[in-house]
Amino acid sequence: MATNMYRVGDYVYVETAPNSPFLIRRIEELNKNQTGNVEAKVMCFYRRRDLPNPLVQLADKHQLATAEDSPLATKLKKTWLRTPVGEEQAAQAVLDPSIAALEEERSSPTQASAGATTGNSSTNNTNNNSVASGGAAGGDGEKSEALTSKQRYQIKHRELFLSRQVETIPATQIRGKCSVTLLNETESLQSYLNKDDTFFYCLVFDPNQKTLLADKGEIRVGSRYQCDIPAKLKDTATDERKLEELESLVWTPEHSLTDRKIDQFLVVSRSIGTFARALDCSSSVKQPSLHMSAAAASRDITLFHAMDILHKHEYSIEEAMSSLVPSTGPVLCRDEIEDWSASEANLFEEALDKYGKDFNDIRQDFLPWKTLKQIIEYYYMWKTTDRYVQQKRVKAVEAELKLKQVYIPQYNNNGKGNGANVKAGSGGGQGGIYNGTTNGGADLSNNGKPCESCGTTKSSQWNSFSNGHLACRLCQTCWDYWRKYGSMKSAHKGDANDGEAKKKTAITATPAAALASTGATTVVDLNDDEKVSDLSNRQLHRCSIVNCGKEFKLKTHLARHYAQAHGIAISSGSPRPIMKTRTAFYLHTNPMTRVARIVCRSIVKPKKAARQSAYAINALLVKQEFTNRISGKSQAEIKKMLLLKPKDRGSVTKIANRLGAPGSGPHEWLVLTPKDKMPQPVVVSFPKPPKAPDGSLVYERVPNKTPDVVAVPVAPDNKELSIIPAQATSTIRKRAHEEQQLNGTEVTIVPSGPPAKRPNKDPMPSHCPSPEQFAAMMAASGQPLSRHHLNGKQKIAQMARGGNGRKQVISWMDAPDDVYFRATDVHKKTRKILSAVDLRRAARKPWRSLPIKSMAPEPSSKPIESQIVILD
Amino acid sequence: MQSHSKKRVCYYYDSDIGNYYYGQGHPMKPHRIRMTHNLLLNYGLYRKMEIYRPHKATADEMTKFHSDEYVRFLRSIRPDNMTEYNKQMQRFNVGEDCPVFDGLYEFCQLSAGGSVAAAVKLNKQASEICINWGGGLHHAKKSEASGFCYVNDIVLGILELLKYHQRVLYIDIDVHHGDGVEEAFYTTDRVMTVSFHKYGEYFPGTGDLRDIGAGKGKYYAVNIPLRDGMDDDAYESIFVPIISKVMETFQPAAVVLQCGADSLTGDRLGCFNLTVKGHGKCVEFVKKYNLPFLMVGGGGYTIRNVSRCWTYETSVALAVEIANELPYNDYFEYFGPDFKLHISPSNMTNQNTSEYLEKIKNRLFENLRMLPHAPGVQIQAIPEDAINDESEDDEKVDKDERLPQSDKDKRIVPENEYSDSEDEGEGGRRDNRNYKGQRKRPRLDKDPIITNSSNKTSSEASSDIKDEKEKADAADGEETPAANNNSNNSSSNNKGDNDASAPAGGASAAKGAKENNI
Repeated sequence: MATNMYRVGDYVYVETAPNSPFLIRRIEELNKNQTGNVEAKVMCFYRRRDLPNPLVQLADKHQLATAEDSPLATKLKKTWLRTPVGEEQAAQAVLDPSIAALEEERSSPTQASAGATTGNSSTNNTNNNSVASGGAAGGDGEKSEALTSKQRYQIKHRELFLSRQVETIPATQIRGKCSVTLLNETESLQSYLNKDDTFFYCLVFDPNQKTLLADKGEIRVGSRYQCDIPAKLKDTATDERKLEELESLVWTPEHSLTDRKIDQFLVVSRSIGTFARALDCSSSVKQPSLHMSAAAASRDITLFHAMDILHKHEYSIEEAMSSLVPSTGPVLCRDEIEDWSASEANLFEEALDKYGKDFNDIRQDFLPWKTLKQIIEYYYMWKTTDRYVQQKRVKAVEAELKLKQVYIPQYNNNGKGNGANVKAGSGGGQGGIYNGTTNGGADLSNNGKPCESCGTTKSSQWNSFSNGHLACRLCQTCWDYWRKYGSMKSAHKGDANDGEAKKKTAITATPAAALASTGATTVVDLNDDEKVSDLSNRQLHRCSIVNCGKEFKLKTHLARHYAQAHGIAISSGSPRPIMKTRTAFYLHTNPMTRVARIVCRSIVKPKKAARQSAYAINALLVKQEFTNRISGKSQAEIKKMLLLKPKDRGSVTKIANRLGAPGSGPHEWLVLTPKDKMPQPVVVSFPKPPKAPDGSLVYERVPNKTPDVVAVPVAPDNKELSIIPAQATSTIRKRAHEEQQLNGTEVTIVPSGPPAKRPNKDPMPSHCPSPEQFAAMMAASGQPLSRHHLNGKQKIAQMARGGNGRKQVISWMDAPDDVYFRATDVHKKTRKILSAVDLRRAARKPWRSLPIKSMAPEPSSKPIESQIVILD
Repeated sequence: MQSHSKKRVCYYYDSDIGNYYYGQGHPMKPHRIRMTHNLLLNYGLYRKMEIYRPHKATADEMTKFHSDEYVRFLRSIRPDNMTEYNKQMQRFNVGEDCPVFDGLYEFCQLSAGGSVAAAVKLNKQASEICINWGGGLHHAKKSEASGFCYVNDIVLGILELLKYHQRVLYIDIDVHHGDGVEEAFYTTDRVMTVSFHKYGEYFPGTGDLRDIGAGKGKYYAVNIPLRDGMDDDAYESIFVPIISKVMETFQPAAVVLQCGADSLTGDRLGCFNLTVKGHGKCVEFVKKYNLPFLMVGGGGYTIRNVSRCWTYETSVALAVEIANELPYNDYFEYFGPDFKLHISPSNMTNQNTSEYLEKIKNRLFENLRMLPHAPGVQIQAIPEDAINDESEDDEKVDKDERLPQSDKDKRIVPENEYSDSEDEGEGGRRDNRNYKGQRKRPRLDKDPIITNSSNKTSSEASSDIKDEKEKADAADGEETPAANNNSNNSSSNNKGDNDASAPAGGASAAKGAKENNI
């Protein structure tokens, strides 16, 4: 099972085309997209064959250089590696001297096999090298001695080149795991050959810049990097520095108190803290229950303080205790989470919504009276509260789409082949798998050719393979090798001496491309030309719109094409919007078009077209008509047509004069039509609402999406100003109920339309009752205030469950709730008390508290401004 | 050696440290130190050790390692005046990975102050183990910030320790290479840096097996490059033999352990698979040597695990067993859903085969064998000793003289001179440092980043082995700079640099080195 479980960080084979070698990728992310498919974000590794030729040479030299490990080689390595090979010609020029130098070095007597370095120690430091080879080049020495030419050939297939390129592939293309490691010089290359599916890399390939680089940092040497080492002081010398200046003792274990005593003292300090909270007005408001006070008094700040006190009083519990209860009253330690008022807490959450965790901005715009440190401390404590947990749950749902691992069932290599047995002789270009005869005898298909690679004539399955122009076939083992390592298992013919021979076996890019695009299965060639391999390695994505059929290398490109050219948005699973802003365009009208407009006015109907942008002009017809009419006309004639013939409408002044002339009396067209003679519309879309008895208009409620909310028009005798839906969904009712509790009995907030989507995002800060009001309310309602609801807001779920039972994340972009304020007689009375000036001021600045004198201290004394009336 | 006796443990903490904030989305969260602290209190470990509030390290103290300019820059930069410092920010690599945040300098002061105070404490033999979880910022360079680190408190601490200890061993179990510390002590034989880290396509890109130190410091840098998925057993199988061997051959007088917790499983940036227990085993093992022991923090980006780990390691230092059940504390909710101290490893594959680890180990053993046997060195007069007390004054003089030279110094190409011909001059050198362009944090867009090959490593290793051989031939380990200079270009440079550090002829030696190079 574990073999089919793919995790982030695994190295995998990826199949993009059925007959080309697998790509090797590292899984960086696994994401579920909207359609439920898993997409893998992968980091690309390249094979030698994917590299442009000059870079392959570079890589060869690098390998050589590491093998030799001589200073010259290293120097050269450095030079090459820094050479960008953007333009191959230029690169060659740069490369040549160094290659020549290396060739020279290699041709000197001290070369290749690390053992053969006897004598000639004066040149090239090779003597060093051989000494070092026990250590520094041990593995390499081993390698160069042990590797046969075949192994040398095969080891090249195990070398990969890391790129920092990331692409997204569907997870279904993954075809098994492999392992890619950074080559360590202690390892022999042989160890890679001995294990299947192991690869190594030592260079980083940048496909954009066409460079190869070593993946390595550097420790620099020089006075600018190292520190000056102080000398060891004589034993007699003492450090002149006083420890007291460097540190201050806060606690020491050297005391006479037992653990038990300390624990007891901590309990005492906590109880003092509880008592202090009972005495403290603001605390008793926030923590109406004893439990809450005790919990608040048990927070770490009290304990730290107790320990400090104990230390200050030299671990005398008696003294420490008395200092906890000075004459001014018991000591009260509060941390940020306790210290902040409910409104501050609300502000903070609002700010967090708005700015994220940019505490500087939060401080500046929301909480300027707090220090940054206070805000940060508060933030980390706030994270422990329920409110954060709720927010986190929202995040968790998003994270659900990010997978840690994915199970991909074993891919049956021959799935297709078995289904549709390709007949022998169907042509060299055609590919596929030839089912071997069950008796394992030589297959007659494809003329019974032996395996192209190993020469065997027996195989359970044959795979067609095109080597250049020749159609040939591979046995199963060689086929697997080809797909995994991207080359023939054993060196043969043209493929043997990679460097030179590769060029010779080159196949032109076009046939391969053509094959790829027509969907033919066999796109196989042995050369290293990057174009070809690029094309064969990738599936092309074609636009499915009729008459378009454009092809794109990447799915995202296709998606963008859809969006731009056809206006279809196709989600590619990427969070980024596909639709790029359209490029600005203008319509270039050439003279012929203008003539056509004039000539074919009857068909084009320019005035109509101008009014109705959707009006379709039959361009074909216009064209036909135009050619008909224009035929036989000379160029001069056509030109003449283009000239604008001004219509004589008389001068503007004349008209103005005429209109402005007095005494002409009201024109007939200026007289208003009487109302009853006005043309009546057939259908009235928005009839005027009926009037309520008090003269105001009564609007019918428009039921909003939620079908189970039945809008009930208000009975005419309803004296209330607002409208209450008789029925509401359970969520709505619950919320309404909560609000009711919150605000006391006389105010009913009736939600309209959909349930609250963003409950804690109040439209205005004025919605938050001040802590005193809130406390009063809570006290009045008799509802205990839980520890985490210090900021005065009720627990409100952030998540709504839709009908399908799936959790839905509510977008933050939704508009805030509509809130109605139903004024009762009490309110009306209150309003009357206020002066007109005050009322107006309140209307303008709803957050200002209003001075209401002479009001009975009943709950209705709640200032008016805290209720906002919003009507649609 | 096996004594498990209770030790005097000093612990450095400033209650402000948790309130520094690197910025939105930044993985480094000083808050983890406060979480650790609260856990310590509620586990009852707090009362078992000496708790100190460290002083704020002064600029003077920081310039013991860092360049004056750099420290001046750190002191003056603030988020509100950043725009005026654009050029310097680039120069000192402050910006992306190492952002400017409110209280940046204070944060550096507290972190460095803790480690320095701890080192002084050890020097005065007033304590056996000192812990500063606020320290361990091992990437900071002499005049460059790097990988979330601005001021290298470890180097400052080690420098302090060197005043009283002939040899100091630095061990780094952060998942990242401890390049800042290694670089600072790359050419000295009085500090051995041993770093266990993920290597290969990983920040900071250094820490190759072949990087073994330079000049006198050859073989005094030990790098253990590891691959993804190191688990407890594999880690122990390489940590124990290597540290044992290092202890045996190097015989340090004090140990500094960087306990970067990003090597734990499930770290936001790390890729190892260690549990808290496996991580803590390293502490336990080092502690057994009963040497003055400084433990510092470091990386660690899944903060609940970091505080678990450091709490556990504090308990290891105190030799107190603590329950797996986490005590209630202010940040209890962070530790859900299990609220346990210990974590279990993930099922990721360990790409470090035992074969691979064995090979690495053998190679490192070979290198360690090249070390002159430690007791012999101890008897020998170390040149610097002659000038001991004025060292601080000398440093100042040196710096003054060097400053005007800095332009010329730029032309000194470190170490291996044969590389000069091709890439001398500003352009080439800057290229060499392109690796700095890589960020510690993975970028979202995964732009291809160009790195450059380094110019030293293997070749240098080979040439230096030759040195060693010659040295062995000559009267054991005696300083023969002249002879070495003739033998090999690359070594001449090293010797030059080392001589420069000797105050007697510092300036002139430096000049000599430069002339050799050009």
